[in-house]
Amino acid sequence: MRVRLDNIHKAFGHVQVVKGLDLEVADGEFLVLLGASGSGKTTALRMIAGLESVTSGRVLIGDRDVTDVLPKYRDVAMVFQSYALYPHMTVFANIAYPLTVRKTPKAEIEAQVKEVARQVQLDTLLDRFPKQLSGGQRQRVALARAMIRRPAAFLMDEPLSNLDAKLRGYMRAELKHMQHQLGITTIYVTHDQIEAMTLAHRVALLEKGVLQQLDTPANIYNRPANLFVAGFIGSPPMNFIDGSLSAGRFTAPDSDFGTLSTITRASVVAGVRPEDGRVTEPHAGKLTGTIYATELMGDHTLVTCRIGGATVTVKADKAFNRQDGAAIGVDFAESAVHLFDKATGERIN
Amino acid sequence: MSASAANAAAASVRETRGEWMDRNSGRIMVLPAVIILLAFAIFPLIISTYLSLSRFALAGGSFKLTFIGLYNFRRLLVGAQQYHFLGTLKPLDTAGWIAFAVFLALVLYWLFRFVVREFSVFGLLGRLISASLACGVVLAALATTVTGGYEGTLLTTCFYVLFGVTLQFALGLGLALLCAQPIRARNWFRVVFFVPLMVTPVGVAYMFRMLADMQKGPFAPLSHALGFSEWSWATQAWSARLMVLIGDTWQWTPFMFIVLLAAVENQPREQLEAARMDGAGAWQIFRDITWPSIAPIGATVVLIRLIEAFKIIDMPNVLTAGGPGLATESLTLHSFIAWRTQDLGGSAAVGYLLLFVSTICCVSFFNYVVRWTRRYQ
Amino acid sequence: MSHSPDTRPLLTRLFEPARLDSMAPIPKIATYAALFFWTLVVVFPLYWVLVTSLKVEVDVDSGPFYVPFLDFMPKLDAWDFMLLQNNTLGPYLNSIFVSLTSTLLALLIGALASYALVRIRFQVKLAAVLTFVLLVVGVIVAVAAFDAPWQLAVAVAAALFALALSTFVKRFRAAVGNNDIEFWMISNRIMPPIVAVLPIYVMFQHLHMLDTQFALIATYTGVNLPIVVWLTRDFFAGIPLDLEESAEIDGASKFRVFFTIALPLVRSGLAATFMLVLILTWNEFLLALFLTNANAQTMPVLVAAQNTTRGPQWWYMSVLIVIMIAPVIVIAGFLQKHIARGLLVGAVKG
Repeated sequence: MRVRLDNIHKAFGHVQVVKGLDLEVADGEFLVLLGASGSGKTTALRMIAGLESVTSGRVLIGDRDVTDVLPKYRDVAMVFQSYALYPHMTVFANIAYPLTVRKTPKAEIEAQVKEVARQVQLDTLLDRFPKQLSGGQRQRVALARAMIRRPAAFLMDEPLSNLDAKLRGYMRAELKHMQHQLGITTIYVTHDQIEAMTLAHRVALLEKGVLQQLDTPANIYNRPANLFVAGFIGSPPMNFIDGSLSAGRFTAPDSDFGTLSTITRASVVAGVRPEDGRVTEPHAGKLTGTIYATELMGDHTLVTCRIGGATVTVKADKAFNRQDGAAIGVDFAESAVHLFDKATGERIN
Repeated sequence: MSASAANAAAASVRETRGEWMDRNSGRIMVLPAVIILLAFAIFPLIISTYLSLSRFALAGGSFKLTFIGLYNFRRLLVGAQQYHFLGTLKPLDTAGWIAFAVFLALVLYWLFRFVVREFSVFGLLGRLISASLACGVVLAALATTVTGGYEGTLLTTCFYVLFGVTLQFALGLGLALLCAQPIRARNWFRVVFFVPLMVTPVGVAYMFRMLADMQKGPFAPLSHALGFSEWSWATQAWSARLMVLIGDTWQWTPFMFIVLLAAVENQPREQLEAARMDGAGAWQIFRDITWPSIAPIGATVVLIRLIEAFKIIDMPNVLTAGGPGLATESLTLHSFIAWRTQDLGGSAAVGYLLLFVSTICCVSFFNYVVRWTRRYQ
Repeated sequence: MSHSPDTRPLLTRLFEPARLDSMAPIPKIATYAALFFWTLVVVFPLYWVLVTSLKVEVDVDSGPFYVPFLDFMPKLDAWDFMLLQNNTLGPYLNSIFVSLTSTLLALLIGALASYALVRIRFQVKLAAVLTFVLLVVGVIVAVAAFDAPWQLAVAVAAALFALALSTFVKRFRAAVGNNDIEFWMISNRIMPPIVAVLPIYVMFQHLHMLDTQFALIATYTGVNLPIVVWLTRDFFAGIPLDLEESAEIDGASKFRVFFTIALPLVRSGLAATFMLVLILTWNEFLLALFLTNANAQTMPVLVAAQNTTRGPQWWYMSVLIVIMIAPVIVIAGFLQKHIARGLLVGAVKG
């Protein structure tokens, strides 16, 4: 079902955690709330769940205003970071709990639990207790417990962060597949940009309680709306150079290159992603500096250069082998340059 | 049609009632406890206040309460009942005054240090209250014990509390430390040491009367051999008090023991191991690691015991019936005896004074000791 | 595994252990000696009671006898008299019923309150509390000093309270929060029972409920509530909040969360609290003495009453003490581990 946040504010005492958040999640959409810790993303999710009261604004699920409705009447299911499995109940009882609470007939509960357990491959573990399960199995119990109700929306609070790296990759794919199959609106909170990029239909990036950009993963990556988004998404992060723009030509103390823009502005920031740049001989590319450090990553090498006052990292071939301190050039396409206003941080091209 | 409408209406009523329950569940959960505490603690407390300010008189099948202000309290502190509550006070001699002066100097130094180091208005007020109570009790103790007067129920109670709790803490801690050593049958000791806590205090009192019987008790041959079989502990004030103290200690040491043992076993292992690597001896380990880590828990169990110790009645009542004279009478027993003699006002006044004394002591202990031991947490 | 022979000087060997997990001979002997001594201190009085219960008057009067069959012939006369002829069974059943019921009630009511105080935020206007206390004092003074009919006084007070709530109380900011309520609940334990017992006596007299099990159960529940709140609060605070929130989203009411999630998770804490409160009520003397007579008399009162004019009859008393201790020892034996842990948690954070 559709979920809508309408100018939501949340304050704990004098601390503003969420400041006027507007968000509309379409039916069946997978929306990821991305942000660093303290960005207000978990608070936003908890307000949708009803676990946190709303200071001002409205929360709508479907067409119903649920701003002051208790969690139990909102018809949402939540998967917690800790999974929140009830340690004193078996896997079966855990999965069945939402139905037991609703006084569903025994036979029906049994059938549904079996069905859901089969979907997440837990059918042989129904008699175990949570402490007898591995991390991945616990994760699946939590998922099954959320799925069994067919809720209006799934809310997930960093559900994969307690898994080891390998299992996380596997569960990510599982989760995406399952959400697609069920077609239930999902709001997913994470601080991990890879999860956000891989899972989401759309990503909402939050910082200090303010929505920075709401768009598809591709757009977020290719056309970051402001400096914060540009710096947050991408690993290693985008390179920034402070300078000025006159009729589209970018000038900084040690660099000077053309862009696709035609604007003139005194104080701008130019950004280039590491993978959009390449190393060249000194004075052959747009920028020239010295090598500060090189890191072999396996399939490529990261070369960090000092260019004037700025530090620029570019991806180079894995065979790249030059001494630190040597002179080096960096080149990139004009179309790869992102331009931002220095004062407001907004994108200008 | 109409049936389904009625159904819908019923459902919505159910939902709203459920919703109301949900929104007020906090209040509903606390309400029973609040009502019971109001009925059995606050309401009685207010009635007791009234009683302590009145004279109670039976008048032809019914009773009559006359408001007499603070008369009951005056009588206990400075009037006809002073001998009972404070004791038979005699003027202090020079040595007594010197002892009191020394104590007063210590208290003043303590206050002075507080004012200089961490002054706060409420802190000073609280400390002044604690200090005046302490000075009063010490003065009363000096004016009775040192001068050869007789101690009243206030001093007797303070004696039970002060020495009883200290003794129980020391024994409990000692046993806990012994039990924490790598020995066999640790669990067996643990269970056995726990048992006295479960015996009814009345039973403990009778048990110790049996044991301390100089003619027929199990130690009779011993006292015969030592030549004081004719002597009776129950006729001497201090031996009778000691007997009450022993019974109380037998009963309550297990409480200290069981909590302190858990605390000792819970102390940070890595710190212990680090200290051993640094070459610390057993005493140093105890002083530097064990003691600081169990002190907060120790202080809290002592507080719990303090609260309960002030209420002592069963032990002196059964062991000695408060005798010889008033020697072993505790404040609760004093109040109980006043009630039996139909002096309800006096009884309530004694109860109230006990409430004051124990509240001031417990709050003082919490503020100056328990808080202090928790300063690292 | 073989150890190389210990070549340290004899004195060192006597006082310092060879390995970390062992003890040197002298400290070991001292430790065992001390522990056995205290075992004797604990066990001998109980043994003496047990032996005395097998004696008759002659065995007690003609000097101390220590070992049955060697010193004297054990007889079951005292047991026979106490259990079959004397009315012991009544008080015994009273004790069991009263202590079990009141302990369970105190546990339920106290746990509910402490759970709510841990998990749900409360804001009670200070002005409302003060008004309430003033009105209660007013009612009591009106009834006691001016002979006002209590029904009228209560009705007037209730009306005034409602009026106050809807008018001036709202204007005051100051409120009492969870910690204050909790502190108030726990601090009730400091009050000596002797202060409360007279009014409680009068109250039940007015209700014609003196000497009933109900009066005793209600009073014990009230007296022990503070302990339950104090001990259980940290157990509830220790439950991960996620579990309860998850249950709530899954559709459970707060009560359901309490009964199906929170309570089962604090089992061991409840066991400890149960045991402690059970011991306290089972052994309680003063309140039982005031509130009961023949009907609802409990064991401690019965034991105390054995102090007859002929002097205490040790053999009868011993029987009573033995049958009083036995069941508690059995239960405590099972719950002993929980008790230590429970008291520890309660005490650490208390």
